[in-house]
Amino acid sequence: MIPTNRAGVDLPAKILVKDLNFFYGDSVALKTVNMSVYANSVTAIIGPSGCGKSTLLRVLNRMYDLYPKQRAEGEVLLDGENILAPGQDVNLLRARVGMVFQKPTPFPMSIYENIAFGVKLYNKVSKSELDGRVEKALRGAALWNEVKDKLHASGLSLSGGQQQRLCIARTVAIEPEVILFDEPCSALDPISTAKVEELIDELREKYTIAIVTHSMQQAARVSSYTAFMYLGELLEFDETTKMFTSPDKKQTQDYITGRFG
Amino acid sequence: MTLYDARRRKNMIYVGLCYAASAFGLVWLAWILGALIFKGSAGLVPATFTQMTPPPGSAGGLFNAITGSLIMSIAAVALGTPIGILAGTYLAEYGSGSKLAFVVRFINDILLSAPSIVIGLFVYQIVVVPMGHFSALAGMLALAIIVIPVVVRTTEDMLRLVPNQLREASSALGLPKSMVIQKIAYKAARAGLTTGVLLAIARISGETAPLLFTALNNQFFATNINAPMASLPVVIFQFALSPYADWQRLAWTGALIITMTVLALSIVARVLGRQRTKS
Repeated sequence: MIPTNRAGVDLPAKILVKDLNFFYGDSVALKTVNMSVYANSVTAIIGPSGCGKSTLLRVLNRMYDLYPKQRAEGEVLLDGENILAPGQDVNLLRARVGMVFQKPTPFPMSIYENIAFGVKLYNKVSKSELDGRVEKALRGAALWNEVKDKLHASGLSLSGGQQQRLCIARTVAIEPEVILFDEPCSALDPISTAKVEELIDELREKYTIAIVTHSMQQAARVSSYTAFMYLGELLEFDETTKMFTSPDKKQTQDYITGRFG
Repeated sequence: MTLYDARRRKNMIYVGLCYAASAFGLVWLAWILGALIFKGSAGLVPATFTQMTPPPGSAGGLFNAITGSLIMSIAAVALGTPIGILAGTYLAEYGSGSKLAFVVRFINDILLSAPSIVIGLFVYQIVVVPMGHFSALAGMLALAIIVIPVVVRTTEDMLRLVPNQLREASSALGLPKSMVIQKIAYKAARAGLTTGVLLAIARISGETAPLLFTALNNQFFATNINAPMASLPVVIFQFALSPYADWQRLAWTGALIITMTVLALSIVARVLGRQRTKS
């Protein structure tokens, strides 16, 4: 099932997942998944716990590589280039495909350093240029006004919602092409959630976004495309409006209306 | 109510026993500290810190022993810490699940509890015998061998306390593993790693047995690591066993100095440890 874009707009697929199988040791977590993530749009991945949605996301930046017993088969094309190919430099890939996690993970350093750290990894920049990049990233994550007077305070001193936006700023600062969100709001209160969602909406203009979420409302609010996964299979993939009004599959309908999951 | 009363009574008995056990443990500690302060503080005069260990019957101090202990401890820590931290890093970051790591961890645990006199004899065999004479160098090596397992253990434990999410988050920025460890994991575990080194210093600062066979002793001030060197524990050992009252007094003072140093190091380690849990 290669999904088609029903809107008829010629959106290029930034990421194309082809016949992807994924294994944790001997157990299969993803079964022949085919899916597209379109450029400059938000694609939500939903499904009940254990369906493989986070696993799928973690293939897109090869996060699973950190764990020796996990492996993927198939193809994941990023701008047409197979990132699962053996010669792929994972670190360069991760600089292009950023990731924001469920739990806010500020580094044990100052707010400023949290962001400058990543920038300095890839660019030789002067102090003033670095200051500019940090400010830009913090503004981009709608955090600048809250932290501009305490840039040298510890990143850990911020509230949970602020920490999560700091992590987004950190990801944005190294100017990736794709940002993956793995349940970014599940540890946040409703107000912080709203801020992060607004942010995702703004980020769409510059980045390609894939978000895993447990909240159907969140998927409906932020995404243009939705993938529904169930027991390691991608059951349905379509425009979000279509998925939430008239899905093709009964399981999708049942899940979205809250009959299970 | 009787069931409740019985439970209350039982509780009181157990709490009482707990207090008694703690008191029993603390009494000895207080006794030792009290005796040390009572007998040793009289010797805490400038001469103790400026004069050499005297021949029996004349006045003197512990200057050569104190500097000897400092030199050998610092060298042992400088030698043992990098090895310990690297090995601990291997165990925590690279070796999880591997057979080699299992073996290394097991051997390290044995080394951690090995009697220090065995380590002293070992260094005697491989350094002192071939060199033909006792030396501070051999003493440093013996102390370093005691430092290593302590640092390996604390480094591994502290790195394991660093949440995996932090490693994933830094890898997600495109950091290679070596940078994740250096820039993130070490930073997050910094207070714990420092605590480990401080504990290792505390551990070696009172070691006598490994020095008896290696650095031996020296009545004079010496900085040559190719020659025997005095140290506080060995001087205490020698002076405390002697029949001379002034030597015994110096031994008490030396014991007090070591104890206070270890106490101070432990307090610093505790304070650092608390900072870690706060962040």
